[in-house]
Amino acid sequence: MSLFRSKRLDIGGFINARVIRDHTKRKVFEQHEPERQALRYIIRNTSLPQRARAQAQLQLSHMHAYTRSTQIKNRCVAGGIARGVVRDFRIARYQFRQQALAGELPGVRKASW
Amino acid sequence: MSLLFNPHLLAKFGKQSLYAVSARSITTTRNPDIVAKSSSNVSRSINERPAFLTEPEPRNWGERLDSINHKTRLPRSVQAVYLRPLRRKAEYGLPVCDLQLRSYSVRNVELFADFAVRAAYYLKLPISGPVPLPRIIERWTFPRSNFVHKKSQENFERITLRRLIQIKDGNPQSVQTWLAFLRKHAFYGVGMKSNVWEHESLDVIKNLDDTAPGVESSLKVHLSQFGQQRGGRAQSSISGLLGDIQPTKNRSPLNDVRKG
Repeated sequence: MSLFRSKRLDIGGFINARVIRDHTKRKVFEQHEPERQALRYIIRNTSLPQRARAQAQLQLSHMHAYTRSTQIKNRCVAGGIARGVVRDFRIARYQFRQQALAGELPGVRKASW
Repeated sequence: MSLLFNPHLLAKFGKQSLYAVSARSITTTRNPDIVAKSSSNVSRSINERPAFLTEPEPRNWGERLDSINHKTRLPRSVQAVYLRPLRRKAEYGLPVCDLQLRSYSVRNVELFADFAVRAAYYLKLPISGPVPLPRIIERWTFPRSNFVHKKSQENFERITLRRLIQIKDGNPQSVQTWLAFLRKHAFYGVGMKSNVWEHESLDVIKNLDDTAPGVESSLKVHLSQFGQQRGGRAQSSISGLLGDIQPTKNRSPLNDVRKG
């Protein structure tokens, strides 16, 4: 969403519309996480009055989608691909193969056993 | 310690020893009479470029220095580099510090483990080890192509080698010095991780008991807020608790609908 996106580019590496979007989502989630957790706490706390809990529920459901952690998806830092991303290297499988064969990933080599 | 790993020094020493050996072999094969002249003499002539073939003239400075080098031994600390690392004996065997070294290459981790063992000796720290811990093998399999063709795949692996060095009943300060020294001279491609245990005298319990009331009184404010209170006491204080997190009415959707 353009209301959250930063005016200047604030990431390095491979740049893509989807990469920027994911980066924005991460930033927004980080900003709003305490608020979300507070609302979740109020909703689940049975010792609070019912009215306050209901209001908290509504407020939580009205928060922007970008404040949800489920919106975040790991993306390849070298190619922006969202599938087959190796968590250890943050690189998708084909980029991994290319870089490993070029010897750019420390310690990684072709295996045979 | 950096002196021990000075490549220039090692190279020089290696060269010299090689010359000495070759000289000895030459003399034995050529003529047994020359052996009496001492093998060092021949090695000197080989070391010196200009006097390679001619008979040696009155000794100049270079030769004299060479002969000194040949006759005197190296400093003990330099000699020790060629031998197995020395160790201190642990008196009580109480573990104080665990250092784990990790690397993807055997040479690096072995070299650095050796370095750490030697450094510990000179800091008077008894150690056990380097213990080779199980290797961590990670494997990945991916299709060779960037799109479909799942039948043709490729395997990759990364093997992490580990060595554990344990320090036993060492002085905490010298343990810290040892760790700092290893960090200062960290070797490329070798990671370090250490667990340090500190032991105190039995009086520590009494000290803790003495300080306990003060700590309790300072924590009382926080502990009274903790957990769920039974009965109406909690209910009564909720409005105060919620004071600033009460959701504002104009932001709720139902209000908007009624107003409109």
